[in-house]
Amino acid sequence: MRSAGDTMVIGIKDISKLIGISIIACCAVLVCTMFLNFYFDVYQIKDILSSEHERIFYNAQVSTAKVVCIVSGGCLLITSVITLLFHIKHYIDIHKKELGILKALGYSNVKIARNFWIFGISIFVGAAIGFAGAFILMPSFYKLQNKDKILPEIYIHFHVDILLYLVLLPTAAFAALSIIYACFKLKKPVINLLKDNLQAKSKTEKKMSGRITDRSFIDDLKRNTLSSRKSLVFFIMFASFCFSAMTQMSASMRDLSSTMMAGMILIIGIILACTTLFLAITTVIKGNTKTIAMMRVFGYSQKECCRSLLGCYRPVSYIGFALGTVYQYALLRIMVDIVFREIDGVPPYKFDFPVMMISLVFFIVIYEIVMYCYSEKIKKISVKEIMAE
Amino acid sequence: MIEINEITKSYGNGDNKFQVLKGISTKICDGDFVVILGASGSGKSTFLNVMSGLERPDNGNIIYNGNDITKLSDNALTEFRRKTVAFIFQQYYLLPNMTVERNVRMGADLAGNSDYKDIIKAVGLENEMKKYPSELSGGQQQRVSVARALAKKPEVLFLDEPTGALDEQTGRQVLDYICKLQMEYKFTIVMVTHNINIAEMANTVIKMNSGKITQINTNEKQKTAYEIGW
Repeated sequence: MRSAGDTMVIGIKDISKLIGISIIACCAVLVCTMFLNFYFDVYQIKDILSSEHERIFYNAQVSTAKVVCIVSGGCLLITSVITLLFHIKHYIDIHKKELGILKALGYSNVKIARNFWIFGISIFVGAAIGFAGAFILMPSFYKLQNKDKILPEIYIHFHVDILLYLVLLPTAAFAALSIIYACFKLKKPVINLLKDNLQAKSKTEKKMSGRITDRSFIDDLKRNTLSSRKSLVFFIMFASFCFSAMTQMSASMRDLSSTMMAGMILIIGIILACTTLFLAITTVIKGNTKTIAMMRVFGYSQKECCRSLLGCYRPVSYIGFALGTVYQYALLRIMVDIVFREIDGVPPYKFDFPVMMISLVFFIVIYEIVMYCYSEKIKKISVKEIMAE
Repeated sequence: MIEINEITKSYGNGDNKFQVLKGISTKICDGDFVVILGASGSGKSTFLNVMSGLERPDNGNIIYNGNDITKLSDNALTEFRRKTVAFIFQQYYLLPNMTVERNVRMGADLAGNSDYKDIIKAVGLENEMKKYPSELSGGQQQRVSVARALAKKPEVLFLDEPTGALDEQTGRQVLDYICKLQMEYKFTIVMVTHNINIAEMANTVIKMNSGKITQINTNEKQKTAYEIGW
């Protein structure tokens, strides 16, 4: 028979909120599976390469696969970990009282934390879709990688190792990470969990309050919104970073690689950026529903509510965009100057200012549309929301 | 002057429709201290929400000095709340990540009130200005919410069970602060409560039952917070 602790608060609905992690995992596994599979398959023809030209091309392909797997896979892995930890922390913050009651009833931290393994499912779903998607795209990808027929025919093989390392182990690792992190987060006195989760104070706020006192309430709220949830700053910066890096990289890839690669990078970039941005802004709004409702009760306009809660993230998103621009430039420089330096016919790479400007304009338009949609959401927050407790 | 004419309000649809306010009419004069009394489910809180512009009625008019707020657009209603009314709730609803001073500024900034520290002093919290709501007692939190509401210099202060979460001594203290501040700032008070003793502090008492006003009484002599029973 299942105990109350086992049938605890985590349900399918909670897991469905982790779709962002699934999408990130899907993108990471899709890219890494294609390049790793290609790497393993191309490795099998290493011994039959005869000419110097073939060997140079082979080495360039192998290096590309390694760089893409390490850079894209690594970046997306770190993002997945941060997103997962953020969701677990957010989940524990929201369900503090229920978890506190379980602890008060005598359930141990480990027993409660064990239920968090279910968060690993989001990784499994994303990784499995990414893995399957990679095999669907692989025939075209292999053709493109060897479109000039420099290397002998490369056949697609199924490598169990890749399934193990990119799907099964990450699922297990993320499930374990969820349990360990939840256990760590639950190590608090019961009374702290039972208290209203919003009663925590920000140390940053305390430091700041001692210094400046003549700021307006809206400015204070802006600063408070930024400093109280640094993880959201990261996500919004990451979203604009992804958009900037991937869209600009995609434009350069058309010349350096192929239209397919360009399209793939563009789609992954836009999906990642939009998913992360939506998740982050949704969390901002949900986390501040009561503040918004109270501001509306007092007569603050919709514009003022948006400015204080969403406006503060605008500079952050531009910083993310700038970082993404630098990142993609550095990455492509490394690829062209180091990885492909011995390959003939690789066009020289230089920073494409018009592409950056187009990307920036699209970024501003998309960002402002998203902000507008969320400001409409703020408008719908009832002034009675605070009383619905 | 607030004129309330034939207000009705229902929740739900079809078979689940429930009429909470059934044609309420009354008048409240400037500077009045009005207490709305009634049992749970009598519709007193809904009446307060509708009267203050937090909710729209299904029918009827609410006229503030000749201005019918039921006809206002959402933006105009926000502007009305900004300029005219303030609220104090049973659960305080302070912003947890902001200090006492900043919570009070939430109200003060709306009225361009730079003297908000005087109100913090008036509610006896001058030494707690840098503290967070979690570091205060229930009574102190409610006093912050009183200061926040009054810092916006409202014409009408709406209170929904302001002492409901407080013990007797703290409740009296909070009510005493509110009355003293009313004498100083001359605003109108509309307070919802189920505590019959608090009604003795008001000059007008509206009794409600099942969505209707059953009685309106006027007190010749208003008692202070320390003279009433509890």
